[in-house]
Amino acid sequence: MFAILYSCKKEEGCTDPVATNFNSDAEIDDGSCNYPAEGCTDSTASNYNPYAILSTNTCEYIGCTDSTADNYNIYAIYDDGSCEFSTTPYIIETPFGFPNMIIPDNNPTTIEGVLLGEKLFHDKILSGDESQSCSSCHQKELGFSDGNRFSAGIDGIIGSRNASTLTNSGWNTSFNWDGSVSSLEEQAFEPVVNPIEMHNTWANVETKLNANGEYLQLFKEAFNINYIDSNHVVMAIAQFERTLVSANSKFDRYIEGNEQLSASELSGYAIFNSEKGDCFHCHGTQLFMDNDFHNNGLDHEPFLDIGLASITNNPADNGKFKTPTLRNIEHTAPYMHDGRFSTLEEVVAHYNSGGIYSSTIDPNMKKVGIGLQLTEQEKADLIAYLKTLTDSDFLEKK
Amino acid sequence: MKKLLLLSITIAITFFACKKEEGCTDPVATNFNSNAEIDDGSCEYTPISTNLTINFTHTVDATNFILGAVGTLPYTNNAGQPYNVKRLWYIISDITLHAEDGTSNLIKDIHFIDASEVSTLSFITNDLEDNNYTSISYTMGLNPTKNISNAYVNEDFHSKMFWPEFIGGGYHYMKLEGNFNDSITFYNTHTGPTNGEDYSFIHTDIITLVTTETTSEAIISINMEINNWYQNPNSITISNNGIMENMPIQMQMKQNGSDVFSTLIN
Repeated sequence: MFAILYSCKKEEGCTDPVATNFNSDAEIDDGSCNYPAEGCTDSTASNYNPYAILSTNTCEYIGCTDSTADNYNIYAIYDDGSCEFSTTPYIIETPFGFPNMIIPDNNPTTIEGVLLGEKLFHDKILSGDESQSCSSCHQKELGFSDGNRFSAGIDGIIGSRNASTLTNSGWNTSFNWDGSVSSLEEQAFEPVVNPIEMHNTWANVETKLNANGEYLQLFKEAFNINYIDSNHVVMAIAQFERTLVSANSKFDRYIEGNEQLSASELSGYAIFNSEKGDCFHCHGTQLFMDNDFHNNGLDHEPFLDIGLASITNNPADNGKFKTPTLRNIEHTAPYMHDGRFSTLEEVVAHYNSGGIYSSTIDPNMKKVGIGLQLTEQEKADLIAYLKTLTDSDFLEKK
Repeated sequence: MKKLLLLSITIAITFFACKKEEGCTDPVATNFNSNAEIDDGSCEYTPISTNLTINFTHTVDATNFILGAVGTLPYTNNAGQPYNVKRLWYIISDITLHAEDGTSNLIKDIHFIDASEVSTLSFITNDLEDNNYTSISYTMGLNPTKNISNAYVNEDFHSKMFWPEFIGGGYHYMKLEGNFNDSITFYNTHTGPTNGEDYSFIHTDIITLVTTETTSEAIISINMEINNWYQNPNSITISNNGIMENMPIQMQMKQNGSDVFSTLIN
């Protein structure tokens, strides 16, 4: 009877295992548990002790450890990949007489994106053997063009078209000499994988960039992404290209009334802007181009390069090429889609000849077979005027 | 007495049968009366909006115009020169309908036409105000208050119609270009504000266009008779010399323009 009574009596004591006086034999908690008085009392910490009464400053936190992030946690020791970055808009001023720039809604220009794009533009990491960058063929001091007639790719293979200037390319509505693409983003995809240019694969570019801590950080800051993909590479490059605005030439200052043109330059301005030279029908407006395609009478048919027609498959577009801007033209030699003219003198001589008749020649080449019949002085004046379109700040700025 | 009653009933029935019911007889009216045989002018309608389509058409000597094919010169102008048209771009502005009650209705401020672009050959204005329109007017080109350099930098026609500041600034009114004579050289009939002079002009046509609450669609066609640019009253020969700085020819073109346009209500 006693034995039975004994076995029925449950032991009382502290039953909480985290208490200092935990009694493993106790079956009934008698409220006697004592707890450590000190510990981390912050419930947001990773080592939060819910029973601690006094904080010991031993709390440890995980979170965003990047001091440049919006949600930087100054106490965080371990980064959990949660950092978020806000971007600062990069405002591109619209120069006098320029249309609004075409900026895709999904790629607003930001200071972070432009900085990243500029780094990528100059980085040989994009090419197959890391020997070329975008800037290899788009050199700033040459109006972001190439001084060679055709550019050589990483394998030494020579292309068939002259590298285009990037001057004011943010205002272009189509890109490449044949208008094959319609945005800067789309354009930037192409040279990286073109076998006669950078001859790389986007998979390879992504692998290399994702293995690069600096790029991981820069892409995170510009786009809030943890994995670098090709879309964001071309978005950054396009953002940088949109900042290549040239609108401070001698001619611009003349228009603003801040600088005078010489007699020769003024004479050239008059020839350019009248039907005597008839340059303005294609190279008019403050952009000095019309975002259109023309056959300017370079060749007899059949054409070696059919230009726009290779994209549209319309024979009426045979031999038509995109009008380039004439801003910084002094520094973007050689000229024409195939770089056939190495000097402005040769270019002017071509137009002065009236060009060569073909079925698709532009009707504005109305002196075909007759020629403009400019005098030597007038030709020199025209070239003097073209050189007033040079923007030294643009070509030299860091 | 019985006879009289019967007669009366007969008369009444006859009379009743002869009396046709009056009411709204138009099935699309909201108060259509299917028993009504005589419309009494009481029909009521749910007002519907009128969509006005303006078409731009082009003819040469009243035949349909086709943009020039290579090596063919299908047209002949008043001066006897064979020619074709390879490019036809122009601006029509201040397209306005004028109503009997003296009010005017601006339909479109500026419209750019590229004969090779179907999308520019017509436009639609929704919700044309109902009225009794008796004339239409429009400006060939842009009048001086509109024709200002860089005023339309964001419009498609800005780079196409740009007229250099050096020879007056603003925009071309028209670019009419093609081959002539030998089919190799080109004429460029470019009109615009030479040296700042205004050669735009307003064309007005009398029309009959009554739109009511039941009118859902109205179509107006504005036709350009291309050969008339070169005749009446001035016979103009085309050449490979540009005319952009030629003020006498710009004036002649303006004068010839008086019978270039015509309006058709479809």
